[in-house]
Formats: sequence, structure tokens, C-alpha cells
Amino acid sequence: MSNLSILGLYDNPDSAADALDALHESGFDSNDFDVLTGTPYPEGAFGEHVPQHRLFRFPLFGAIMGLTLSVFLTTTTQIVYPLITGGKPILSIFAMLVIMYEMTMLSAVVTTVIGILFESRLPDISMNVYDTRITEGLIGVSLVCSTDKKDVAEKALKDAGAMEIKSSGK
Amino acid sequence: MEKVITRRILISEELNNQERFNAATSSLVSTTKEEMGGKFKIVFGIFAALSVMGILSLLIKIFQGFDDKSSWGYYSAIVSLLFGVFGTAPMVAIAPMIAKADWHRPIARIANMFTAAGLSSVIMIFPLIFALPPLVVGGYRRRSIWFDANIYTPHVFFGLAVVGLFLIGLGMLWVSSIPDLAAMRDHSTGRRQRFAKILSRGFVGTERQWISLRARIGMMSTFYFMFLIFVHILYSINFNLELVAGWKDAIYPMYHAMTGIQSGIATVMIAVYLIRKYYKLEDVIRIDQIWGLAKLMFAATIFWFYFFICAFMIFWYGKSEINVMTIKILVNGPYMWVFIGAFLLSFIVPWWIIIWNPVRKNPPMLVLVATITLIGCILDRIRLFVISWQVYGEDTIHLRYIPAEDIPDNMIMPTLLDGTLFVGFISLGIFMFLLMSRLLPIVSIWETHQSILLTKHIKFHRTEVYAVGKPD
Repeated sequence: MSNLSILGLYDNPDSAADALDALHESGFDSNDFDVLTGTPYPEGAFGEHVPQHRLFRFPLFGAIMGLTLSVFLTTTTQIVYPLITGGKPILSIFAMLVIMYEMTMLSAVVTTVIGILFESRLPDISMNVYDTRITEGLIGVSLVCSTDKKDVAEKALKDAGAMEIKSSGK
Repeated sequence: MEKVITRRILISEELNNQERFNAATSSLVSTTKEEMGGKFKIVFGIFAALSVMGILSLLIKIFQGFDDKSSWGYYSAIVSLLFGVFGTAPMVAIAPMIAKADWHRPIARIANMFTAAGLSSVIMIFPLIFALPPLVVGGYRRRSIWFDANIYTPHVFFGLAVVGLFLIGLGMLWVSSIPDLAAMRDHSTGRRQRFAKILSRGFVGTERQWISLRARIGMMSTFYFMFLIFVHILYSINFNLELVAGWKDAIYPMYHAMTGIQSGIATVMIAVYLIRKYYKLEDVIRIDQIWGLAKLMFAATIFWFYFFICAFMIFWYGKSEINVMTIKILVNGPYMWVFIGAFLLSFIVPWWIIIWNPVRKNPPMLVLVATITLIGCILDRIRLFVISWQVYGEDTIHLRYIPAEDIPDNMIMPTLLDGTLFVGFISLGIFMFLLMSRLLPIVSIWETHQSILLTKHIKFHRTEVYAVGKPD
């Protein structure tokens, strides 16, 4: 059985929230549908499932990686070319700090950018149905379901006051 | 006329959110494509031509060689200025965002766009890195924060830091523009649409995407801030403080960063004023934003004096030969008149004007203050950097301090080449800014939408107030 992408468009947030309730009541799982908005509504404004994020793992991993690399770089170069300066020990932490900071930061930034793409699932390859009026302020309730549930889903969306319902086969 | 009416719709309380969003989107997307008449093209062309002049001047400067260190003083002062006016301008968007202030939203994009202007400092820094003496001079290691590192370590890692800052800035601009690029993808045509489609990466505004995006904007902004201060610290130490034997000042790197922020705020003030006026965005960029900027500018002006006096008091009351030398180098030596000019124009005059409440709500007066501040900043950079490269010598760098008789009596005057470099690279920054203003909406659409969504005029007892929702 093939899957179908359905999009209900709403012109006010209350109707969109009602649509989510209706989908729940019709037996759809909260992971099956999503709210699409052109504006960052406060999390949970539509009573939707708020996904758990792992946003801080990427920069943390990057920072640890960068710090490790920088410690390795500065330590090995100082051991390979031992120069005693001002009677200080060969492995002088202050001489390493600048490089450690810089490499830690740069590595964290790179992984943050990668994290944006990964966490946001960009580029979007799902090919779910979309409407450009969402960036004008309409609210989209998007769901993916099997073709046999199409009528149930469309009825739930329509009863909640959808202005328009669009669908595409997958 | 139609455009004016469309923009009036933005503040209308009678329309529903969708109509107001729609009006905001079409109005702000249009800033990337609206015809500014021949004027914009002429301005664009002038800055492009001046940028080319700057690049040519740079090539001439490189061919003149790196041996005469004193000739690089004005050059290093220009680079320092660029780190301030363009590099720190995004802080105007970052600091209020971290503090969860709401007023900055309409001007955040303008401030962020200056990250692209950072290209001018990236280009200028590399020849200067070649001019920077190695850590070992005349067979002896000079005093530096790099201790026993390889003799070209500061050259490599500072170059990397400047490029890194530029890329972080561009990353921050891109991340904060993704929803707007999605709106452009949906509502523009031709090349702009293709450009927006590539950069929006299929953003459709799911809950997950918004959560991720907002958190990343915060992270990138924090990284930019941390890296910016790092670059200011390295630059002020490596290209300034370390070149003067005996000059030891723990406050100076922060003074350099803080005065850079002061010039960045002044730059944004001028840019906001011009954009508000010429794009007719008075209903989007309101007096609240100007007022908020004015308060930041006021605070930065006071900070100038605070950081200066903290360092100066140590030298003044210390009275050792090293302290006397430092005061002569920085204050009452050959650059005394430049210092007096900087003191007046960076602190006294702007402080005295901006202290008055009505001035802080008067855009033309604030532009005047910002211009005065920028002139003060130019003078400040000259008095700090030119003398450092002037007194540097292979024989003097290893001394405990520079004896009074070795401090020059006269200041070095700028050459024509210094002038063309200054004009050329400031123009390159402005050119990059103008270019970005053609590619991205000059005011963030999604943040404007968010303001519409979360701001409401409500009755409060017997008056009316603006209620701002802050969900996160």
C-alpha cells in the first residue's frame, strides 16, 4: 500500500490546533503529522508534539575534537622541537592556550553548521506536499499516511476548518 | 504610494495575522528587488570603483616591500578600524538577542549583514601578517604571548582566526536568513528565486526546523562574539602591544575590543538611518530601535573613558621609567594632538551630546554623534598603531623599555597610498553590504512576523501599552 502526503491549510491557529486534536482522535500518531508555519510560533502553541532535540551534542563533539587535536598538535611540536624559554617547562600550558582556544572554537562552529543541516533535516528530500502561502501566514498541517486512511485524514482536517486540502501520492 | 500603504498595513491592528504577514513579506522581499532609480546603481558603481582602487593600492603597497616597518603603521591602524566598524557591527544584533530584548528584531539583519563587509579586513590582513616580525628577531626571541612557539605561529594562527571569524559571520548571516530565503523562494522569480532555493535548503517551517534554527542562531551568535573578542585580543597584542618594548597593559586588549564595539554601534546607527530613510521603512524600523541603539551608543561612549582611565591610572601613578615611556608613546608624545582629538571625539563630544534625552530620539542628531564617534575612532587607532610600528626596531625590541631619547619627536604623516587604502577598503566593506542588501531582505521577514505575532497593543488600566510575549 502506497503512502500519501496530505496538507491542510488554515488561516488561524485555533483551527490548526483543532485539526491536530481531530487527527489524534482519528487514530493518527503524533509522529505522523507536523505543523508548518512561516513564523516561529511558541513551542506547543498548537498542542503539537514538541520533538526532543540534541542540539548541543554537535558543538560539544566538535569542541572536544578540536581541543584534542590542538593539545596533540601543541604537545607534539613542543616535544619534537624542545626549546626552553625563560626557564619554563617544555610543555607550558600558557603557550598552548591560544591555539587550543582557536581550534576548539573553529571545530565547534563547523560541527554546529553540520548540526543545523542534520537536525533540520535539510535539504528536505521528503517531497511532502507544500504550499507557498505558508510563508504568507497560513498554517499548514501536514501528514503522511497510507492511501486507505486518506478519507479519514481529510475529514479530520476539513472538520477542523481547513481552507484547502492538498494531497500528493508518494 | 502603494508601497507606503502596504507598509502602513504592517502596524494596522485591524487586520488579521495572515494579512499582516502577507503585507510584511511582500514589502520586505521587495527591498531586494525594488528599483531605487539610477541612484542605487550610481552609489553601487562608485563604491565598486573605490574598492578596485583599494585593491590596486594594496598591490602597490605589497610591491613596496615589508622591510620598512614604520610604513605599515597606518595600514595596521586601518585594519584595526575595519575590525571595529565592520567586524563588531553584528554585536548590535547579538547582544540584545542574548539578553532576549525584543527591540532589536527590525535592525538585526542590517547589523548581521556587516559580516560580509568583513571581507575587507580578511584581504588586508594577509600582507600585514607578512610585515609582522617573526618571534625570533636578531637571533633572540622577542617577548610575546606565544612564548616558545614556532617563530611564525602568530602569523599562521592569526590568519586562520581572521578567516574563521569571517566564515562564522557568514554562517551566522545564513542561518538567521534561512526562513527569509524560504519566503523568497516562495515569492520571487528568476535568479533570486534560484538563489533562495539553493540556500533555503528546502526549509518548510516544521516544529523541528524552528527549534533547531533558533538554537543555532543563538549558538552561532555566541561563537561569533567569543571569536570576535579573541581576534581583537590577538590583533591588539600581536600587531600593537608586542611591538613596543616595555609596554605591558592587561586592559589594553579589552579596550581595543570595546572601542571596536563603539565604532560598530556607530556604523550600524548610520546604516539604520540611511536604510530607514531611503527604503521608506519608518513603519518597520521605528523610533524604538533608534532609541535602543542610542542607549547602546551612550553606554559604549562611557566605556571608552572607563577602559582608558583604568589603564592610564596605572601608568600615571606607577611613575616608573616604563610607565613614563608608555604615557609618552600613547598620550603626550608625538601623537599628543591625535590623542586629544580622539579623546574629544570618542568621548567628550559624543557623551555631551547624547546625554540629553531628546537627542537619543532624534535620528539626524544620532547620525551626527555616530559620525563624530567614527572620526574619533580613526584618530584613536592612528595614535595607538602608527607609533607602535614607528618605534619598532630590531635593536629596540629586546630592550626593557624604549629610552626617552629614542622616542621620535614627530609623528608620521599618512601618505597618499595610506589614504587610498583607507578609502578603498572602507568602500569595499560598504560595497559588500550593498551587495548583500540585493540578495537578502534588509529587514528579517520572519522576525518581523514574530514581532507581529507576539506584540499586541492592549488596554492597561487607564492607558494603553504594548504587550510583548516572550515564550523562550
